[in-house]
Amino acid sequence: MSAFISSLKQHVHQAKSENLWLLAGLSLGLFPHFARLPLLITLPSATLLIWRLLYDLRYFSLPPQWLRWLLTLIAISATYTSFHTLIGRQAGVGLLVIMLCLKLMEMDKFRDVGVVIGLGFFVIITVFLFDQSVFTGIYMLVVVSLLTTSMSAFSREFSTASQWLNLRQANTIMLQAVPLALLLFVLFPRLPAPLWSLPSDTFGAATGLSDSMSPGKISHLSNNNAVAFRVQFDSEPPPLNKRYWRGPVFTQFDGKTWSKPSTYQMNPVDEAAASFSYRTLGEPVHYSITLEPHNQKWIFALDLLATLPANSTLSPEYEIISKHTIEQLIRYPMSSYPDYLLDVDTLPNPAIYLQLPPDSSPRARALAKQFRKEAKNDADLVQIALLYIHEEPFYYTRQPPALPDDPVDEFLFDVRRGFCEHYASSFVFLMRAAGIPARIVTGYQGGELNPQSDYYIVRQSDAHAWAEVWLPQKGWQRIDPTSMIPAARIENQQDLARILPDIAQLGTPPNWAKAAWRQLQFGLDRVNHAWNQWVINYNDDRQRNLLNRLLSSFGFGEIDWQKMITLLAAGMGAVLLLIAIFTLRSWRRPQRDLVVIAYTLFCQQLARRGIQRGPAEGPVDFSQRAQQLRPDISPAIARITALYLHLRYAPQARSTQRNGKQAPPKQLRHLQAAVRQFKA
Amino acid sequence: MANPSRITLQTASSPLPASKPHRLSFKRFFQGEGPETGPITLVQRRVYILPSKMGIYFATMMFVMLLGAVNYTNNLAFALTFLMASISLVSILHCYRNLLSLRVDVGPIPSVFCGDTVQVPMILDNQQHAARYALKLQFYQDKRQESPEFQSYIFTDVGADQRQRCNVPVRTQQRGLYPLPRVTLRSSFPLGLFQTWAHAQRDAHYLVYPAPTQKHDLPNAPSVHTHLSGDRGKGADDFAGLRTYHHGDSLRHVHWKAVAREQGMFTKQFGGDRSEELWLDWESLPGMDTETRLSRLCRWVIDADASQLNYGLRIPGAMVPLGTGPGHRHHCLKALALFNADANVSNDVSSNVSSTGSTP
Repeated sequence: MSAFISSLKQHVHQAKSENLWLLAGLSLGLFPHFARLPLLITLPSATLLIWRLLYDLRYFSLPPQWLRWLLTLIAISATYTSFHTLIGRQAGVGLLVIMLCLKLMEMDKFRDVGVVIGLGFFVIITVFLFDQSVFTGIYMLVVVSLLTTSMSAFSREFSTASQWLNLRQANTIMLQAVPLALLLFVLFPRLPAPLWSLPSDTFGAATGLSDSMSPGKISHLSNNNAVAFRVQFDSEPPPLNKRYWRGPVFTQFDGKTWSKPSTYQMNPVDEAAASFSYRTLGEPVHYSITLEPHNQKWIFALDLLATLPANSTLSPEYEIISKHTIEQLIRYPMSSYPDYLLDVDTLPNPAIYLQLPPDSSPRARALAKQFRKEAKNDADLVQIALLYIHEEPFYYTRQPPALPDDPVDEFLFDVRRGFCEHYASSFVFLMRAAGIPARIVTGYQGGELNPQSDYYIVRQSDAHAWAEVWLPQKGWQRIDPTSMIPAARIENQQDLARILPDIAQLGTPPNWAKAAWRQLQFGLDRVNHAWNQWVINYNDDRQRNLLNRLLSSFGFGEIDWQKMITLLAAGMGAVLLLIAIFTLRSWRRPQRDLVVIAYTLFCQQLARRGIQRGPAEGPVDFSQRAQQLRPDISPAIARITALYLHLRYAPQARSTQRNGKQAPPKQLRHLQAAVRQFKA
Repeated sequence: MANPSRITLQTASSPLPASKPHRLSFKRFFQGEGPETGPITLVQRRVYILPSKMGIYFATMMFVMLLGAVNYTNNLAFALTFLMASISLVSILHCYRNLLSLRVDVGPIPSVFCGDTVQVPMILDNQQHAARYALKLQFYQDKRQESPEFQSYIFTDVGADQRQRCNVPVRTQQRGLYPLPRVTLRSSFPLGLFQTWAHAQRDAHYLVYPAPTQKHDLPNAPSVHTHLSGDRGKGADDFAGLRTYHHGDSLRHVHWKAVAREQGMFTKQFGGDRSEELWLDWESLPGMDTETRLSRLCRWVIDADASQLNYGLRIPGAMVPLGTGPGHRHHCLKALALFNADANVSNDVSSNVSSTGSTP
């Protein structure tokens, strides 16, 4: 084993250092892609990478020319087989990765290494297209450091100094570059819109609510702890039972799936806004939401919204619909009235809220008829139905059994175990069967305060579905049938905490490990939130706001791009100047050679008397000249010169040149004494 | 050497030494400053820097990356592009520093035979507390006559506060005394994105001896092997006495004890007397062209010296009296190297040429 290690060390020693640094950087840089790309790309790429490493360590030779051409053809066809195209984000990255690895097979010239290092940096950018998290950012900093180190090794291929010096050099430069990069990041003018339209697969798949609801659609999110959005309240946050974040609303039911009517337009005309009829009560709450990308057009807000974010419209169901798909993190300020009356006087189009598939779920229809008989009015009927859920043995579970034939009947009468979507769906069915207009609202409920900061985290696991029923004189009322289930019938503690927080708090206190873990998670989320706000979502708007706020105190006036460029140039100049002073100032240390110090003193003494040693004048010539000019002190000059010559050039003294400490002490003392006594 | 006028000049003139006006000129950019006396310090105005090919490639790459970042409004892509741009900017300073304030000097240049390579000892004195890496040194030489196997440059590092001596090759094509061409110091350290360079030309000369011919018997060769009367053939063994130190004497032969006793510099002399006397004479080689004659004489000088003969050289316009030892050898070879055909034997050579030309 140790023999193997020592032989490996030998191989590493023989390998070209810049190639090893480069391969290390490339492997780390490509890794996130390897985890994401199909195996058909990953496997050959990784093989080529390892092949190159083994070549550099002198275990293997590189493939011949014909094999390289063959491999290239195979690589292109593998990419095409995997993606059925060669353009677009996914396929483009696949092609870049495999071609880069192929380039390693013919990287033997100076120029090739440069090309590969450049492509290595390009790979990092493509990773950022898929993932912009803090972790990826820091990880890629390591990759940049390794690639820069390979550049350093590359630029001194002929130098014999230690390899770690390259790492140090690269990191020194990177550290000095960070302030410049920060200035550029903050001050480089951002554009509000892309320069040209992007291919459709630009942004990756994201989780979130979908545009239809069937059993299982939301419960699959229940274990997903990913953040849906974060909310920062500027005023007092509303209580939990009012924190319903409204998302897509569904009105059409086909017996299994709730969806939007087929005539529904995703971009409703603005005239629709005229038909909104609502009354607000009480004070509005002000808050801002940082929404994670979810590849849909929904924008979430508390009921009932008072403002619309930029580039969005309001649908007749009071959903906010963005003009563009939410493909990147966005942040928008919002205001809402938690207390409101909606469509109190008339319901514009009741038929669509009473639609039911014909002949489905006969048992549920019978139950609805029974409710209608018992109820005095519509409001009473709603209460009866809720009581039914409360009293009958309905359970709340994350693993609902399959409901293959008739989800409503099977849930209400046979299984009685389900998730929020089952309750909302069955409840709306019952209401409609009883003649009460009703609709399904999906979105998120609640949200968790980050105790280390002042914002709420709403996760995908907070996804929820509830019902809205229209009652005369009261308008649309939010009814959450899930909340009627008693605590004893909620299986999961987490769900209990969400649905019935008052009861959950009485439960067993979490142990310290769990508490610490939660604190850590909150801390990480806080970092993520800050990262999202200041790095990912630093756009033209935010840039302008930030700079205006920063510069208003200096009387700078409204910022524009000319001012940004001026500031940027000035700032960069200043920082570069600082680095230049730090780097270029002469680090001249005091002369350490005692022999030279003594002899220089002697020369200075003579110079003061007008006998200057010429720049190319040797000590012997100088001594002769000085002795001729000053015969009176000739012996002293000769003695000092002789001592100096001896210390400097005698064979036993020569080895100690430029290291005065080790000069023979006796003669050195003689020289120093002679110079001290020397008076020209 | 002792030059009183120089002293008065130094004290009387303005504190700044008179120097050429340092304006921007292309000549300086490409050719440097011309020959200079004394060590050359690479001050700011002498050190140039421009992007290398790789730097231009990287700049293009960064532009593409910036376009991508703008278009995808991807802030981490922005951050990476800006970091790379900043790294490149900072690397300019580090690259420039790698040459700045370096002192360049040249040591005594050994004389070589024509066709050999002169290893010019360059002395790089780094007086700063930061090492300099991967300096490429190359003398300006006619590129057209460069053969592919001749490596005209060397790479060297200079440690912090170190003086580094390195031999930079110069090709020789003709005998004679030549001014040292300018040396160009280049470096693309630390990242290869920029290349910095500086020209330095010292006012030194190097001597190229004629190329010796193939082994050839000495003229009227004395029977060296049977007549070992002076010394035992090895030479330089027997202490013969002291004489005052001359420039060029081996430091190994300096009588250091006398120096320490402050009696002055003396050189120990070794070796015995030769009884044989050998004159190497231009006239003994009639009917050859000048260069061949010089080459033959050169060969004889080498052989006579190797055999430790007491020899002298007679060529038109120069005569080196009998002598031995490395100094003597050098004097002889120098005379051959500097032999000027036009000045000395123009008649001789022309007659030679005409005779060979006219006689059928």
